[in-house]
Amino acid sequence: MIKLQDIKNRARELLANGEVRAVIGYRNGSRGMAAEPAVIADPNDAANIVWNPSCVHNLALYLVDDRKRLTRKQETPTKPIAIMAKGCDARAIVVLLQENYFKREDVYILGVSCETTGMLDEHKLEQLKIRPDQFTAVEFDGDDFVLIKDAETQQRFPAREIMADRCLECRNPFPKLNNAVFGEEKARNLAAPFSALMQFEQNATQNTRWDFWQHQFERCIRCSACRSVCPMCYCEECIVDSITYSVMPDTTAEEKANRIRWIERSATRANNIGYHLTRALHLAGRCIDCGECERVCPVRIPLRLLNTKLERDARERFGYEPGASVEVASFVSSFRDNDPGNFIR
Amino acid sequence: MEKILNKIQLSDWIAALDGWESFAPILQDGIWSYQPIKRGVNSVQLEYPNTTQPPKNFTFPQREVFFTFEQIKGEAPRLTQILPTDKPRVIFGVRPCDGQALPRMDRLFNEQFADIYYQKRRENLAYVGLACNTPPSRNCFCKAVGGSPFATNGLDILMTDLGDRYLVTAVTAIGDRLIDHGVQLFSEPTGRDRAEAGQLRIAALKQPQRAIQESATVPKRLKEQFASPLWEELARPCIGCGICTYLCPTCHCFDINDEVATPAPLRGSRIRTWDTCQFPDFTMHSSGHNPRTEVGARLRQRINHKLQYFYENFGMFQCTGCGRCISGCPVGIDIIAVVNQVTATPEN
Repeated sequence: MIKLQDIKNRARELLANGEVRAVIGYRNGSRGMAAEPAVIADPNDAANIVWNPSCVHNLALYLVDDRKRLTRKQETPTKPIAIMAKGCDARAIVVLLQENYFKREDVYILGVSCETTGMLDEHKLEQLKIRPDQFTAVEFDGDDFVLIKDAETQQRFPAREIMADRCLECRNPFPKLNNAVFGEEKARNLAAPFSALMQFEQNATQNTRWDFWQHQFERCIRCSACRSVCPMCYCEECIVDSITYSVMPDTTAEEKANRIRWIERSATRANNIGYHLTRALHLAGRCIDCGECERVCPVRIPLRLLNTKLERDARERFGYEPGASVEVASFVSSFRDNDPGNFIR
Repeated sequence: MEKILNKIQLSDWIAALDGWESFAPILQDGIWSYQPIKRGVNSVQLEYPNTTQPPKNFTFPQREVFFTFEQIKGEAPRLTQILPTDKPRVIFGVRPCDGQALPRMDRLFNEQFADIYYQKRRENLAYVGLACNTPPSRNCFCKAVGGSPFATNGLDILMTDLGDRYLVTAVTAIGDRLIDHGVQLFSEPTGRDRAEAGQLRIAALKQPQRAIQESATVPKRLKEQFASPLWEELARPCIGCGICTYLCPTCHCFDINDEVATPAPLRGSRIRTWDTCQFPDFTMHSSGHNPRTEVGARLRQRINHKLQYFYENFGMFQCTGCGRCISGCPVGIDIIAVVNQVTATPEN
């Protein structure tokens, strides 16, 4: 079991002795039992750090955010930034390092193992009539249970009933890349990898799968939360925003007028198909299945089904595991002689 | 007029609304949303919290076609205005906070600068509201922004749930007409019905909601705190998506683009789509300068627009207290917590 105080102490120490400039972690939110991301710069605020089954956020996103801030302010920090990282989050950091988004010495990874119990899925809780905003706290309870509390009562749930699908399927809930790690590496065998995808494929033929996706893409409102929450979607100019960031003071009027728009802003089925399938392809071999895109979607589009499909292709057809090791080159920037080539004619 | 309708006859009333397209909240694909009701096919019940998206789409769709353009060889380009041609629509189960959005949107799109697209949709739209006996969400705060769980602003009818029946209260002439369409289904309210509704209303007003501290002075205190470093600190987790604005009943910022169907001969449409002040490029100038590069400035803009600027311009908060931005934010940014913290006086 992880002792939260150990994490707090280490965070406080790192800040107090000036080893890191901030700690990206989790603290209690203001709207019920859910934790929220926090960037802590004051050693005293390390006391606010929490670790519980609502720490779902992939904090690697804030490493990207931090890098962009530094670029905008033209600052070059002399100290690394620390970050609490679960197994999936640490794999996201690996991908960012493979892609040279920052250097290894720029980040101090406080690895936190999920051990046997992963993060909970608020939608599964809602099926059980538990509204997260009605409760005040949620805790790990031993290896297999979760406690949900309000002011007067507490309820105990078998963790596997309310764990997120991506946690059930997780092969490695342990942050291999770290500077310090809390908790042990424990196996978790709750659902086969790609279970949700396989179930979807079993229940649908090729034609009904396309009907399903067309229906889903009609529902999309293009809030872009899936893109905004993904650490790997760090492009300053996204394919759907092709009139924006690259405008510089010396960009001519002609260039601006003739700028191609590949995909329009309007939320039509065709544009949404373009956006989602392009995003999924741009994440092939890079997505480490933190599940955040699916969690944040306000209209509940099952986006993991798209990303895990490509992840499975990367693994099965190219033998590539996203986020496994910094030493390995990134998926799309490398090849092996025995890569499948039967589609090249 | 005021009538009683038995709940089991709600679908019959909807079926009697000839000439109207009816919508009601349906749980579909995991969320509550307003869906068209096929007469005689769907049975409607209104035991539901609130829809994920407000009914904003009915007057202000995500995609609005303004006009088409066509290049004709040897002539000036031909522009053809495309006006909305919806049948009259009636939306059932609208919560008072969502009803309150219409007076706000009307100030912007239907008064000094009338937007014909909004107008055409608005004049063909009716809301049958549902009072909130209990708050649909723990994040409700309609009272803090001048609303109430029984408010009728923007609604054509307000229904009060009396258990096995509704007290159906017309607010506008359209509301009277909607009741007339199904007049045989309604009965007169008894003294007991009215007393019960009165008691529910009193109880509803006492239900705990989240509170903005001293909301009457919030516009002034927000103005004073424009330069507060708290904005950046509280906005730090913001990921710059559009959820808060797209789920908001009153957010209405938009983008206009020409979508080209064929380049030669040139044919296309001028399209308005939703935009959001939370996207990092929202205030990007064509020079490349962006006055709001930091999340703190963008969060401050949204909150000030809702609770200060709109109040100063129109004498009412633009925020209606529905709580969707709080429930929907992926990282827990909470408009109430932010406002309370930023405007806290040393004594608070």
